[in-house]
Amino acid sequence: MRNRYLLIAVLVFVVVGPFILPPNTVAEMLIFGIIAVSTNIMLGYTGMLSFGQAAYFGIGAYACGLLLKAGYPLILAIPGGTLFSMLIAAMVGNFCVKRTGLYFICLTFAFNQMFYFIAYVWTDVTGGEDGLADIPRPEIITTPEAYYVFVAIMFGACLLAMLKIVSSPLGLVFRLIRENPERAAAIGYNVGLYKWYSFMIASGFTALAGTIYAMLYDIVPIDQIHWLKSGDFIFMVLFGGSGNFFGPLIGAVGYIWLSDSFALIWARWPLLMGCMFLIIVLYLRGGVADLIERAYGFLTRARRGAEPGGSAA
Amino acid sequence: MIFLITSQILNGLATGMLYALLAVGLTLILGALNIPNFAHGALYAFGAYFTFMIAGWTDSFYVAILIAPFLVVALGFLIESQGVRRLYAAHHDYQLLFLFAVALILQEMIIIFWGPVGFSLLPPDNLSGAVDLGIFIYPKYRIALLIFSAIVIIALFLFINKTDLGAILRAGIENREMVTVLGIDINRVFLLTFGLGAYLAGLAGGLVTPILGLTPSMGLDILPICFVIVVVAGLGSISGAILAGILVGLSQGVTTIWWPEATNVVIYVMMGLTIIVRPQGLFGSR
Repeated sequence: MRNRYLLIAVLVFVVVGPFILPPNTVAEMLIFGIIAVSTNIMLGYTGMLSFGQAAYFGIGAYACGLLLKAGYPLILAIPGGTLFSMLIAAMVGNFCVKRTGLYFICLTFAFNQMFYFIAYVWTDVTGGEDGLADIPRPEIITTPEAYYVFVAIMFGACLLAMLKIVSSPLGLVFRLIRENPERAAAIGYNVGLYKWYSFMIASGFTALAGTIYAMLYDIVPIDQIHWLKSGDFIFMVLFGGSGNFFGPLIGAVGYIWLSDSFALIWARWPLLMGCMFLIIVLYLRGGVADLIERAYGFLTRARRGAEPGGSAA
Repeated sequence: MIFLITSQILNGLATGMLYALLAVGLTLILGALNIPNFAHGALYAFGAYFTFMIAGWTDSFYVAILIAPFLVVALGFLIESQGVRRLYAAHHDYQLLFLFAVALILQEMIIIFWGPVGFSLLPPDNLSGAVDLGIFIYPKYRIALLIFSAIVIIALFLFINKTDLGAILRAGIENREMVTVLGIDINRVFLLTFGLGAYLAGLAGGLVTPILGLTPSMGLDILPICFVIVVVAGLGSISGAILAGILVGLSQGVTTIWWPEATNVVIYVMMGLTIIVRPQGLFGSR
């Protein structure tokens, strides 16, 4: 029931958003929204902190951009880019899920930077430091309006698919592994395999978002695959709230909005973002979603208290 | 050819020594404090910029290299006591976001204080120029760097393995609860550990300036290398971090001879091979 209201709120944002903000900004919010929610399936639901998700975002974007530049149609470029990125994630994930805690963070982080350097050195293919430029937008989505509708449809499909995943038995196993991996193993679940599934789901949706991103500004800048971007993804999840399926969406919207507005004020805007991160860590654990929930709880309690026979309300 | 190979091996050794200093500091912090220190690169960068600043004021590189790392220690104390200490009970995600934020803020502060353009710093007069080693000539500063960092690493090794404080540090990595049970103030141990890690990072940053110069992004660039070394060494092994640091530096030096473009990629190849053969790292037991 609650999910239905929240879905309606998201739908309202998707429809009304482009009339209030520039459509490209809203499109960016939706793309990073997919990433934030998928990262949270791994971080919030399964309890795995990967500090390397920018790698799969970047690989998806590069692969899709290269396919489009080679003249392949949209219908092939998107699954092609996503599957290529997932293939790499499958290999990396195979090594990483065997480790836990800090070692998992170190490994995912180091692999992220490995792919950054490959993109940086392999200039002929990736454009090196200048990024992959001049990516043609397929004909059916050339206009900004058509592109926005395309992003909105992809976003809606991804969001529903991810909601389905977390409310399925698979999502329950993920939560079991987060709460008690030993017990999950004792019951008979192959914990490593389920962690790999979680890693693949997160990386797959992140890669898909990357392929859509490649067409947003017709360029994939190299900093989209840098480890700093992975930090931004973590920020989106924690800013919105990792304890809630929809929380990271607030984080993605907030991140794009904040970084756009800070960039207007001061050239040293990452400093302001850093301060924002500190505020979240020190004063706003649980994120905006938790804050809203607490405020809602407080308000309803106050109203109930004011009414006679409050329990009936 | 033999000259080229020998000098590149020496270069690799010198780089490897610096990596070892950084990696030991990071291993201490990761192992004892159990936090992902993504501000380690920023501490290294501040070591370099403090050295540059003090060398400018006092006209002496030696004074600078003596004082600058202690300023980084002060910075490390500030980070540990004001932020990290509140987060020991939190999950890794909040620790990571905090240290990531510290790294971003410090990096931007470098640009605000010292500008976005890099600097170069000359080695001190009596260490500038080259020395004739018989078969080839080699920069004096690099030889001094090799000897000095070898002394620091040996001293560090003795400190960690032979002194009481070192024993507490090692015990903290092995079993944190046991250290607390023994009646040792774990908060002070953590503060000192973070300080020691910061000192080593700052020292490495200061020592590297006459070779690589200073750029605002130097901290961000070195950080992944530190983590690769820790992964290759295995989490929690101090002598492993020293050896892996030297190994990574050497492999970079040797790669420079045949394929200079690949120096940044070769360390990841090493890492990949290591975790295929030994998933827990070369010297890791966990």
